Amino acid sequence: MVSSSRILAVATFVAALTVASAPALETPGEQGLVLLARKVVTGSFEGDGVINNGAVVIRGGLIEAVGPRTDVAIPEGYRVEDLGDLWITPGMIDLHCHVAMGMQDLSESAYLTNPGMRASVGIIPGNTNLLNAVAGGVTSVLHIPGSATNMGGQGVLLRTAPRAFEDALIRDPGSLKLAQAGNPERRAPWNPRRSFMNYNTRSTFRRGVAYAKRWAEFEAGTGEKPDRDLQFDIFRSLYKGEAQVSTHTQIYQVVLMTLTMVAENFKLPVYIDHGTFDGWRAAAKAQELGVAAILGPRGITNGMNSPGFASYDQDGAIFGVAAQYQKLGHQRVGFNTDCVGPLGRGIAQEELGLQASMGVRYGFDNSEPYGVRGVTSVPAEAAGLDDRLGRVLPGLEADLVISTGDPTDPRCSVERVYQAGRLVYNTATQTRRF
Amino acid sequence: MHIKTNKKTGSLNAAALFLPLAMGLVAPTTAQEDEEPADEWFVLQGGDVHTGTGAVLRGASVLSKNGKIDEIGYDLYIPEEAEILDVAGYRVYPGLVAIESRGLFGGSSDLANSVDPFSKNMVLALSAGVTTARNGSEVAKLRAGHIDGLVLTSGVLPGLSYSKSNPSGKRTLRQKFEVAVQYLEVYAQWEIDKKSDKELKEPSDKGVDSSILRYLRGEARPVFSASTRTDLLEIARLAQRFGFRPIINGCQEGWIVADELGRAGASAIITARDRSTKGEELVRTGGSSIENAAILHRAGVSVTIIPSSAGISLGGIVGRDLMHLTIEAGFAVRGGLSEKAALDGITIEPARLLGVESRVGSIEVGKDADMIVTDGDILHYQTFVQWAVVSGEVVYDKEAELFFAHIRPRPKSALSPEERVDAGETEDEEIEEDSDDSDSSDEGGEEGDDKGDGTFRP
Repeated sequence: MVSSSRILAVATFVAALTVASAPALETPGEQGLVLLARKVVTGSFEGDGVINNGAVVIRGGLIEAVGPRTDVAIPEGYRVEDLGDLWITPGMIDLHCHVAMGMQDLSESAYLTNPGMRASVGIIPGNTNLLNAVAGGVTSVLHIPGSATNMGGQGVLLRTAPRAFEDALIRDPGSLKLAQAGNPERRAPWNPRRSFMNYNTRSTFRRGVAYAKRWAEFEAGTGEKPDRDLQFDIFRSLYKGEAQVSTHTQIYQVVLMTLTMVAENFKLPVYIDHGTFDGWRAAAKAQELGVAAILGPRGITNGMNSPGFASYDQDGAIFGVAAQYQKLGHQRVGFNTDCVGPLGRGIAQEELGLQASMGVRYGFDNSEPYGVRGVTSVPAEAAGLDDRLGRVLPGLEADLVISTGDPTDPRCSVERVYQAGRLVYNTATQTRRF
Repeated sequence: MHIKTNKKTGSLNAAALFLPLAMGLVAPTTAQEDEEPADEWFVLQGGDVHTGTGAVLRGASVLSKNGKIDEIGYDLYIPEEAEILDVAGYRVYPGLVAIESRGLFGGSSDLANSVDPFSKNMVLALSAGVTTARNGSEVAKLRAGHIDGLVLTSGVLPGLSYSKSNPSGKRTLRQKFEVAVQYLEVYAQWEIDKKSDKELKEPSDKGVDSSILRYLRGEARPVFSASTRTDLLEIARLAQRFGFRPIINGCQEGWIVADELGRAGASAIITARDRSTKGEELVRTGGSSIENAAILHRAGVSVTIIPSSAGISLGGIVGRDLMHLTIEAGFAVRGGLSEKAALDGITIEPARLLGVESRVGSIEVGKDADMIVTDGDILHYQTFVQWAVVSGEVVYDKEAELFFAHIRPRPKSALSPEERVDAGETEDEEIEEDSDDSDSSDEGGEEGDDKGDGTFRP
């Protein structure tokens, strides 16, 4: 073991060669690592959102310390690496995608609500889409069923880099996928309309919550052991707040239905996915109920091309969807890609950052790093992962993106990615994938 | 409002006559025909001028006369009648050139006879900085509000195919090149021989492909749509063997054979984010690369950038249509292309491929006064085009259009308060109220011109 002071001296000497001499992919060792960067964007809503000339100390897969490099003590025996002008930001999290397996296996439509189905059964970890995601700085995704029915089943939260399912798994169930309206009308075997869909969805929720309550009573010792029902087991997780309802919802009335039905009536944890067209009109209500808005991939909305079911008159103006939520006081706006997997279709998984920068382009305030937060801490919080992921904060897992600047700027490239302290992408030793 | 005009009463008559003439709405009377139309002067004043030639002139002015750039620099002599747009604190770039577009002009392939100068998509493309675009085989300017003077040229980007998927087509094309090369040799010999024998008959070009003759003579460049390294290599070799410069559209695997393409003097039209996977059966490098543009550029291939969709998309998904041409250029930068080369790739490089580089693509004296004024770095995602100028005339003003006026509204000229007082709306109204007074000042007279000279005069 070399002394830390000597390592420091060497580090200074090697600083100019950092990129060329960067280490090969490695496993998180017991030896700690100190990364020095021009800027650290923490993703946090509290404290310093941006730390200039920062240091991040990681060890055993966790972040131990973060702060200005003059304030952070470098522990004995830690390797120090100066990243020069590069930035450190939290790994990005996409709460709406379908990239971990083929779509043909993903959208089950046996019933109009299928809460028991699981997307986790067909995962192909480390597939091309997921590896490209890593190269775009996307470290975690919620892979969910499609919206052929009102409830396509359960999503699964995955890390993007690992090649084995056990390593990739963050949480299963990741969510219950609810598609409130907008697709099931067209894709379900018959053509249900909104009245029946809402009635039927509400009915499923009611039965599911009743089931969860019976189990809660049993576990509290105040009730009999209920029969196991695989269709409704997910509601036990939802009821305990261990998973959320991720909702394909857009258009004002539909978003409003998500808020009133899921958040207000059934008091289940829920967040908005898509939220587009004139869904922003429900933003104040969403904020009031603490429902995060994870928007995309439609970033703009206008009266000219809006579909018949969303006819809010914008008098020719083109609105940024995220900007409209923000304008109405919503404080937890995030972004998703809805990446459908195959290359060349829809938004690529690695372009999550672009969803944020396009939000900013079309009026989303970025005077604080809201764009970066929208793809890191906001989705982490929405998915109940904020104690593990989404910020550069001591105690959280070291999911870090090392980039040449603002990671949401199309011009800035991701140079390295760490997942739980493991260096999983390094352009110094690997082909650049994005 | 930043526009103010210095026109004096004396120039009023000429200007009033010229305007309807230019618009083709009023037939000139005999008496007026003798009169020279007054020169139209326009100045972009005090912006940071990114000329596109490498030079950046901070706080400079660009003076245009009758739609052409007349002078660029400092302390220019500004004719009194010039219209002035104060752009202090803003950046001025050459108008962007779209190597491909769909649906901007609201017309068919015959633009001169079918253009809709009030097309919504034309305004939206201008909002993205595009002032010149190819539409089919024509190249036209986005001269919103005008029905004349749009089409710059036609017959551009003649296509050729040379792919291993069509072996007989390849053979035929190669033979055509061979025939054409032989003809050119015979022709060159004839040119020498006829000096001594004036009776010598010019060799017949019967059976010689006239398009290929043009390529070999350097009068035109063919465009190939090709993306696999095999086809690209074949095209590069064909071009080197026969001596013409190919343009390659797509060029996804160009980075693998970049040196060959560079030696062939090729140009590439690229979507930086194009994605294709390497075939699993291939053991060597293949597929797309974000570094494609950068690698090709380093190898001497000129790079033109176009998004994956060349139309205007209002479906909601943003970042991949012509409204985001600069974003696509940004992705080329991500792959290592310099910002200068990326800007070239959406200005002067496409202008060259379309053969209109003497008119557009950079800010130079003698070229068309086609410029955009932005509130920041053109390649930054937050930057908006504030004004677009085509042929020395403002054809897009962000604040005056419905689409984006509400997004980060333009400050009322925080950087030059004096100009604001001169040209501000409020002041105009006050002057209007005062206009009945007999002491309407000189200042008021200058102001008044904005709404049609003389309105505010006693």
